[in-house]
Amino acid sequence: MIQFDQVGKTYTALVTRKRVDALSDFSLEMRRGEVVGIAGPNGAGKSTLISLLMGFLQPTSGSVRIDGKPPRAYVESSGVSYLTELVNLPPRWKVPTALSRLATLAGVPASERDGKVRETMARLGLEEHAAKQVKQLSKGNLQRLGLAQALLGDFDIVVLDEPTHGLDPLWTQRFRDVVAELRRPDRVIVIASHNLDELERLADRVAILNRGRLQRVVEHGGAVTESAARAWRVAFEGTPDFGGAFAGATAVEGRPGVWRVTATGAELSAALARLLTDGAVLTECAPEESRLETAFRTAVQS
Amino acid sequence: MNPNKSPFRYVPWFMRDLAIWPGSLFLLASVGLAFAIRKVSRSFMGDISITEAQEAVTMIQGQTFHAILLVAVLMAMGGVIGTDQHRGWYRAWFSKPIAPWWYYLQRFLLAAVLVLMMPLVFGLGLSLFTTGGTGITSALLGIIALGFLLYGSAVMLASVFTSRDWLIVFIVAFFQNQVATFSRMGLIKPPPWMRVLHDALPPTHLIDTTGPMLSGNALLHVAGYGVAMLLAALLLLKYRPLGSGGRA
Repeated sequence: MIQFDQVGKTYTALVTRKRVDALSDFSLEMRRGEVVGIAGPNGAGKSTLISLLMGFLQPTSGSVRIDGKPPRAYVESSGVSYLTELVNLPPRWKVPTALSRLATLAGVPASERDGKVRETMARLGLEEHAAKQVKQLSKGNLQRLGLAQALLGDFDIVVLDEPTHGLDPLWTQRFRDVVAELRRPDRVIVIASHNLDELERLADRVAILNRGRLQRVVEHGGAVTESAARAWRVAFEGTPDFGGAFAGATAVEGRPGVWRVTATGAELSAALARLLTDGAVLTECAPEESRLETAFRTAVQS
Repeated sequence: MNPNKSPFRYVPWFMRDLAIWPGSLFLLASVGLAFAIRKVSRSFMGDISITEAQEAVTMIQGQTFHAILLVAVLMAMGGVIGTDQHRGWYRAWFSKPIAPWWYYLQRFLLAAVLVLMMPLVFGLGLSLFTTGGTGITSALLGIIALGFLLYGSAVMLASVFTSRDWLIVFIVAFFQNQVATFSRMGLIKPPPWMRVLHDALPPTHLIDTTGPMLSGNALLHVAGYGVAMLLAALLLLKYRPLGSGGRA
């Protein structure tokens, strides 16, 4: 549905003519039915990528196509549910007015508009802020308003740029439910985020960007192979000699029974099996960092 | 949901915005000015004939719009595109299924209607408070329409690049009018570069609401320049990306 083909974007300063390559040779296809994450450190090119996808910028090289059309042509004819990284709306607008105006632009029929606005406000907990102007909203509430306006239309593409920025843990959790509800076979959802945990939970694939280049694409449950050694944290009831069962295991200082070990899944399973057979009681076994975190760290450091 | 993709669906919101600002100010100023003129005319003009009163009211309309037309257009159009871009609001608007050029063209046309309603409201006030009628002539309306086309299009074009569009148009209009006035009065003999600049910039000095309707080359010059600037702004909106950086 969305096709980035060797896309490059260079910014050139007006006066000094200094050039910055924000994106280089980026190719990726995003298909209907999937949730695609875009991860990367600050300045990696995530926002530029989103702007190119929305047609707010034109690539310096390569091409972006949505259903075979240039992005601007697609957006102007079909629309995109888009949450910006920095939610910007006129500060004096009241919350329901802002949503009603944007619902009008999104093509919500006049007869359904008020109902849609009320429903969206209830969905995102904005009812209690109905009397407030945009400028009176806290960062988290503004973010929810941004998400609300993105959900007003019924579009085949959803683009969320740093969607949980400023949200409290409760609303971060609810946001995940919202994304789960948005999934459907004919829709592609693109989420750009710093939050790897969030992307790991939501995305089917995560494209990792660094310095404007696509470093790797991590498939859900794959890509980082199970044969790769990872750091694990293992804890037991009591203090069995895990160090004796597994060479290289180190006890975590000040926490009896908690060990840190670097091993493949197979090596760890074998060691644990021996200990459990001997009667040890396992209370915790978790990777110290997620697959995506491992892939991200490797990609960014390489 | 059966989406409403009518290209005019946002018009009611534009009308509401323009009615609140600057429409309410225009209304207040028009009525207030008409009322003030009634006071002045009673104090100083005494009993005059209907014909003299009509001529006086026509002159008042012309002089009033000579003074305020540029300011009225700047208030109705200032920052129309540039502010949306500068503040990043365009990202919310134009992720929805609407083309920027069409969105801003509608805004331009509605602002034109608002500015053209000003002499009507002012004239209505004058007819209520004086015996000279509304003072509205086809020439006055024609010149106000041309003035809006020229000033409004200049603001649109400048607004594609900056939110200080109003300042640019104000400076251009000031320069053009000063050069034209001083040249006509023989106070200056513009150097060649100034004459070239004067000829190249929008002919705002030809907009005179106290004079007759433009005709011939002057009409072509003003209308042609206005339409060209409007088309240039719309083409830029269609083909030039709205963003200037990842987050801009």
